[in-house]
Amino acid sequence: MAQFHYLMVLAFIGTCAVFVNLGFKLRIRSKLKLFLMTDAVILLIYLAWDFWAVTKGSWYFDREQTVGLYLFSRLPIEEVLFFIIVPLMVVLTYLALIKLSRPSSKDEKSNDLR
Amino acid sequence: MIYADVALNAVLVAVIFDLYLLRSQMMTRKIFWKTYFLILPFQLLTNWWLTSNEIVMYSDGEIIGTRVAGAPLEDLLFGFSMILLTLSLWEFFAKRITPDKVAK
Repeated sequence: MAQFHYLMVLAFIGTCAVFVNLGFKLRIRSKLKLFLMTDAVILLIYLAWDFWAVTKGSWYFDREQTVGLYLFSRLPIEEVLFFIIVPLMVVLTYLALIKLSRPSSKDEKSNDLR
Repeated sequence: MIYADVALNAVLVAVIFDLYLLRSQMMTRKIFWKTYFLILPFQLLTNWWLTSNEIVMYSDGEIIGTRVAGAPLEDLLFGFSMILLTLSLWEFFAKRITPDKVAK
């Protein structure tokens, strides 16, 4: 089970994301393109930083607590997933708070992007 | 450049992007700070899990040594930069995909 320790926290955040998306009717799938554009930039920047830092030895990962798949034979696959799931949760939190602050906007048919 | 330097620079870069390059100016909006402070406890929880289990470990010379919820203080700077940049990029692209729906 130890190899899933990092993955478990990602699964927790992912579960939160699903519930926030459904609970607030955020329909994130209709904004998939927008999210992919946003996350492409995030992935590029933060994976480059991560790769550089791991190469330099700033931080390192316990091989026993990651599933054992690596990007560029250095970054655990969990790091890649982290930079997808966390930005997704950030966007969903933002959209949920916007929805909360605008209780009047009940028209689900509008293609409002935010 | 140790983690502390890079993390500080990351915040600086994110702020410059937000205010001047992407011009989303999330930092001037209340909703951004609400979002940030809602996410912060979850970041601390994640940090605590990753560091107390020693899933992620940090080299001594790379951090200033102050720890918050088990993780280096620098992690809060990293987290802030990523949250700001994510939302700033989101608004930037949102305006361009649907130009009729301008923010604010």
